[in-house]
Amino acid sequence: MKKNIKHEKILQQICDFMGEDLDAPACKEVAEHIEKCPSCKIYLDTVKKTVILCRKLEENKKLPKDVNQRLCKILNL
Amino acid sequence: MTESELVVAAKKGDRHALGQLVSKYNERIYNLALRILRNKEDAEDILQEAFLTVIEKLDTFDGRSSFFTWIYRIATNASLMKLRKKKLVFAEFPENPDFEKSLENMAFVDWSQDPSLNIHNEEVKKMLGQAINQLSETYRTVFILRDLEQLSIKETSKILEISEENVKIRLRRARFFLRDVLSKYFSERIVS
Repeated sequence: MKKNIKHEKILQQICDFMGEDLDAPACKEVAEHIEKCPSCKIYLDTVKKTVILCRKLEENKKLPKDVNQRLCKILNL
Repeated sequence: MTESELVVAAKKGDRHALGQLVSKYNERIYNLALRILRNKEDAEDILQEAFLTVIEKLDTFDGRSSFFTWIYRIATNASLMKLRKKKLVFAEFPENPDFEKSLENMAFVDWSQDPSLNIHNEEVKKMLGQAINQLSETYRTVFILRDLEQLSIKETSKILEISEENVKIRLRRARFFLRDVLSKYFSERIVS
């Protein structure tokens, strides 16, 4: 029973865990659980992959020169 | 000059200082608006609107938040106003507070190493783009600021003026929704 509560808590925390201070006590607890729990590991890996794909899809675009020129004109710069 | 010095100088009417602030943030604001609105013309409108607002309200900027947080908040709010006017239909999210508990009963399949799930796959690109489009503003902004702009939970909460806990809840749901789209794609491919 105790294990289930922890598992559920970890699944909720996985998203908070990503990109945060991995040395924080809460993150260490999540990391330790994930190492032993294949289901949570898969969930974390697939969420990470999702975010990576979205970042690649939405990567920074260079500001077009004409857009910047129009901006400077409007702002009188 | 530091950013604070540039802001002080710009407040006094120094156009060169203002120009430096614009050069520092113009590309970031354009990309932020592009991510929220997903349209180049709209992103340009927001870029102009945001900096005009900055100039108009620079006197009221008291430095309690950073200039970065302030300008991001202006640009995010302007983008959201424009998004609302478009009256798009967004995906529905379960309002059940036990939403995350439902994860407990799910069987997860590991597709994270599947080589076909990459951004050069046109199907994946299209599907993810559509999925992000389906995120309502509540979830979209948090996902964009936290996961795409890679701001911290604290910065995201300050820009959106919501609690850090609220940022975490919205982020979990947005990520779950997007992950689910890829999971379904993967499952359908396995079956066919």
